Amino acid sequence: MLLADFGTSYCKFRELGGPAGAGQPYLLATKDLPKNLRVDLATGHNGKRFSDRYVNELTALARGGEDLIAAPDYVLLDCGSRDIKYVSYCHGKLADMGWNSECGASMGFTIELLEKYYNLDYGKLAVPERTFSITCGVLGMSHIFDAVTSGISEAEAVARFVKGIALNAYRFSGSPETLYLSGGLCDNPLFVGSFPCNIIPLGRFVLIKGLEKTAREHLSIAL
Amino acid sequence: MKQENPFAQLRPDSRVGIVGIPPLAVIGRLNSLGAQIYDLDEPQINTDMELTAPFLPRVYCAILRTALLNALHLELDMIVIDVGPGKCDCALHVSTVLQDMLRIPVIRTRNEDDVPFGHPLCETKMSLLEKLKRITAGVQSAAPHQPEKFPPCRPTAGFWGVPPRDFSLLTLFPDTTHIYGWTRCMENKTPADGELEEMFNAEVPTIFFAQSFCAKTALAKFLAAKHPHGLYLDVDVTCSSSTQAKIQAFLELSGVGHAAR
Repeated sequence: MLLADFGTSYCKFRELGGPAGAGQPYLLATKDLPKNLRVDLATGHNGKRFSDRYVNELTALARGGEDLIAAPDYVLLDCGSRDIKYVSYCHGKLADMGWNSECGASMGFTIELLEKYYNLDYGKLAVPERTFSITCGVLGMSHIFDAVTSGISEAEAVARFVKGIALNAYRFSGSPETLYLSGGLCDNPLFVGSFPCNIIPLGRFVLIKGLEKTAREHLSIAL
Repeated sequence: MKQENPFAQLRPDSRVGIVGIPPLAVIGRLNSLGAQIYDLDEPQINTDMELTAPFLPRVYCAILRTALLNALHLELDMIVIDVGPGKCDCALHVSTVLQDMLRIPVIRTRNEDDVPFGHPLCETKMSLLEKLKRITAGVQSAAPHQPEKFPPCRPTAGFWGVPPRDFSLLTLFPDTTHIYGWTRCMENKTPADGELEEMFNAEVPTIFFAQSFCAKTALAKFLAAKHPHGLYLDVDVTCSSSTQAKIQAFLELSGVGHAAR
C-alpha cells in the first residue's frame, strides 16, 4: 500500500504492507512526479489528482501528531512550502486548529528560493537579534531588498526575514511554550533557532504518519 | 420610519428588497399588498462583487456588500433595511449609502419583535443547507411555523452563527446538526434576542461562524472559547478550500462524520 503526502515543493511517500514490510519514507520533488502515478491513500493539496482515497491535510497532521506525541497537551505546527497549519490538543483531545493559506502564503517556498538565489547556507547563519515583521513570504521579500539597499548584508537580511517568518508562525499557532514542528523546515537550523519557544522537530513525515493511522484505524486496513 | 405611510405608493406587483429582518408587521404589510420580496442579503445575481467597490470598502461585511450589489442590479421599487439591535451599525451606514445611490425609498426599520415563533427547523434532521434555505426564505413570510412537520432529532454537531454569504460551507455538516446563534433567532422571528443568540449546546462539537469583518466575530470567538469543543471560523465572500478542510477535519477529529462532498 502506497501512502503519499503531495506537497507543493516535495512529495513524501511510504510503502506499507509489502513483502518486505514497511519501507522507509522517501521524498520526491513535486516537479519530478511521474504523470501517471497512482497511490492508495493521499493527502496534501495536490493529492486528489493521484488517488481515489484522500485525507485532508489537517486531519492527517492531527492523526500524525496523535501517533508521534505522547504529551496530552500540545501544539503541532506544520510549516510547508505554501502554507502553515496547526492543531492544538488539550487533555488528549482536539482543542483548536488553524490553516493559513493566504497570509502564510509561500513562506517555506520563499525561504528555499532565497537560499539558492543568494547562495547561502542556513546551517551557517546565526539567528539575528532583529527581525522583519512578516506575514507573507512574497510581500516579506521587499523587506530584504530594502535592507540590502540600506547597507545590511544579504545574509543578515535573509536571516531577519527567516526569523520574521518563524515569529509569525509562532504567533499564528497561539504562542505556546513548546511547539512540535512538522515539515521540511525542521531541517533548517536558522528557522528552528528563530522561534522564541522550545521547539521539538518531528521532521517531514508527520502527515505520512497520519495516513498510516488513518489506514489502520479508520479504513480497517491491516498493516 | 421617517415617512407617515411609506407603503402607500406600493402596487401589488411592486418589487421590494429587504436587508436583515424587518419587523413582522412590515413583512405582513408587504405580504398583504402582494409585493414581491427580494432578500438582498442573499446573492440574487451572478456578477462581480468588485462592482460595489466605488460605494463600500472592500474590507467590509460580505453580506452587506452583496445587498448593495443586488440593489444595484435589481430594479426595485423600495428597500426596507433593518438597522435595529437585530442587525448592525454597518447596515445603518449602508442604508445611508443606498439612499444616496438609488432613487427609490429606503425605509429604515428597527426590529424589536419579541414574540417567539419557535425554531423547529433548527433542531430537525435535514441537510444543513436545506434548513438554512428554509429559514432564510421564512423571513419573507409572517405565517406561523408548522412544528409538527419538523420533529427534533438528537444533535451530533452544532452550527452557531449567521447564514453565511457562501452556503457551500453548510454542505459539509451532517443532517443531525442543530442550529444556534442568530440563525435560530431568525427562525424564531426575534432577531434582537441576545439571550437566544448566545445559547449553545455544550454536549456537541460546534462551529462558531461569523462573516469576516462583522461585529459578531467577537461573540463567535468568545463563545467558541467558552464551549468545551468549539471552533471559531470566519469567512469573507467565499469558503476557501483550507476553510472547508478545517470544517471537515474538525468534524472528523471530533468523531462526527462530515457530509461527503
